[in-house]
Amino acid sequence: MKFLIIAKKEILDITRDKRTLLMMIAFPLLLMPVLIGTMMKITTSQAEKASEKEIKIAFIGQQYAPNLFNAFSNLDKLIVLDQIPMDSVESYIQSEYIDAAINIDSSYQLNINNNSQAKIDILYKGTDSFGTAKERIEMVLDQFERNIIEIRMNELSLKPNIVKAYNIEFNDVASNQEKFGKLAGGWLPYVFILFGFMGAMYPALDLGSGEKERGTLETILSSPASRLDIVLGKFVVIMSAAFLTAFLALAGILIGIQQISVIPPAFLTLVNEIFTVKTIALIMTLVLPVSAFFSAALLGLSIYAKSFKEAQSIVAPLNIVIIFPAVIGTLPGIELNMITSLIPILNVSLASKDIIAGIMNPIYMTEVYLSLFGFAALSLYWCVRSFNKESTIFRN
Amino acid sequence: MIEVKNLIKDFTLNKKQRKEMGDKYKNTKILRAVDDVSFKCQPGRIYGLLGPNGAGKTTTLRMIATMLKPTSGSITVAGYDSVSKGQKVRSQIGFMTGQTALYDRLTPTEMAKYIADLHGMDNKKFNERKEHLFNILDMNSFADRRIGRLSTGMKQKTSIARTIIHDPQVMVFDEPTSGLDVMTSRAIVDLIRSCKEEGKTVIFSTHRMGEVNQLCDDIAIIYKGKLFYNSSLDQFKSEMTKSTFEEEFIYRVGEE
Repeated sequence: MKFLIIAKKEILDITRDKRTLLMMIAFPLLLMPVLIGTMMKITTSQAEKASEKEIKIAFIGQQYAPNLFNAFSNLDKLIVLDQIPMDSVESYIQSEYIDAAINIDSSYQLNINNNSQAKIDILYKGTDSFGTAKERIEMVLDQFERNIIEIRMNELSLKPNIVKAYNIEFNDVASNQEKFGKLAGGWLPYVFILFGFMGAMYPALDLGSGEKERGTLETILSSPASRLDIVLGKFVVIMSAAFLTAFLALAGILIGIQQISVIPPAFLTLVNEIFTVKTIALIMTLVLPVSAFFSAALLGLSIYAKSFKEAQSIVAPLNIVIIFPAVIGTLPGIELNMITSLIPILNVSLASKDIIAGIMNPIYMTEVYLSLFGFAALSLYWCVRSFNKESTIFRN
Repeated sequence: MIEVKNLIKDFTLNKKQRKEMGDKYKNTKILRAVDDVSFKCQPGRIYGLLGPNGAGKTTTLRMIATMLKPTSGSITVAGYDSVSKGQKVRSQIGFMTGQTALYDRLTPTEMAKYIADLHGMDNKKFNERKEHLFNILDMNSFADRRIGRLSTGMKQKTSIARTIIHDPQVMVFDEPTSGLDVMTSRAIVDLIRSCKEEGKTVIFSTHRMGEVNQLCDDIAIIYKGKLFYNSSLDQFKSEMTKSTFEEEFIYRVGEE
């Protein structure tokens, strides 16, 4: 049971390290709510700004469609300019002096009267944030078009249904939980996988290569503790750190959402309905083996390095390796199947999506757990082997 | 007691290491760091392992402390075989190097307790031993301060306390004074002497001839993995043909 003595000492040691505590507790717990809050605030204020924005449009050919011109002129937060020549319109929109231009063809009224199509050209800038100008012009034109069609149909004594043969009603049987799970379920695991990795990284570096650098490795190697005791003691602490960091990141998001005033109440109710203790506990059962996998792999790499610095340079690129499968899990269309449920990290992402959506396939979930615990056991075995290898432990 | 018999240690070199080590290792993958070394260290005597850097001193001491496994040959420490009874051997030894090897975020008391726990000492025994050591080393004033905030001298004392907290019968010192100033080296030299007085078996490696003269009862000269001399210091002195230890050393290893 000497590994418990080692674990106890390592816990005492890392909990006194401000950097580790910052990375492990403060960072996930505070950063996520702050990030979410800031993003929501910026998005809402931008949307508000866009709807409040006064847009300027050039109207060319007002004499051909005076009614349309008047409809635009009477709108709020819209300025209609009628003196801009057609050849300058494009450069004005490019330089954002005006937001859009409407060009009415001289045969407009003739076509309308003949029950033909009247041509209207609209120039706008597609990179315009939120596409407000295009949207507002479309709204007015749609309304106008409906009126014209109605008049035409009355003249022909036709019912409106003549141009609408189907009465289509779409009924979505997916619950809100399912929709939320598929939409946001992929991003949540991405966050806690990344935080879990980060939570394991710093303690792994300190407990592996840090021992070499301080010269304390020889002290514990010459103590009655076996190599297995040493590895297990360190592994347990790193894994706990990873697990705790991932949990706090998840908690940080959920607490953060409650604190944000701009979130619609319906969404908040849905989030609270989904994230019950059971759902969180289920997600954490996925985090546990993945934390073990990260911890053993990082400890093995860390003990291989000659110094803390070398360990950092070996481990840092792995961040990308971890992100890759986690991001794939967020892509639409990627679901758990016989193959994806075996791929570590990706399977955590996909399984969490299903847990959040409330639809779990027992066969795939079994595969996920088998794969995760299998990979965790493999990486721990490799880590113990590395500790027993003289060429690794005394590489310098 | 430490008994080393026909000890050999080979290291496998990788491609990069072979390249770094020059033409001699171009066609061989094996570096023989310790080559058929035999000696005995008796209780109550200080055995000095003398040799330049890279001679094989650290490798030999690490094998005694069971950190490395011999390629062939055997080591017995306090009656236990270093390979088959590694844990027993480790429970009998105190290992110290030139580095203080301490955890900055622990206090000297916590550091000593950690090592004592690993050696399975109960609380009563630990408290008694700690009180005794902290008194004689004058450590009580900083016993509960973080090691990272201590002076070099205080750290050295902490390092001594953690090495002998479990009262080991065999002491292994690997160049314990290298890189230390005169004052801190003195604390180590005093520790080595007191270990001898307490009847412990002491093996100590150095490349400083002066320390050998000052401390050792028995000496061995090791060079390029081979043992060139193994006898008492008095015998060595009586056989000296050169005027200084340095010259005699060079003469013995045949590089004059």
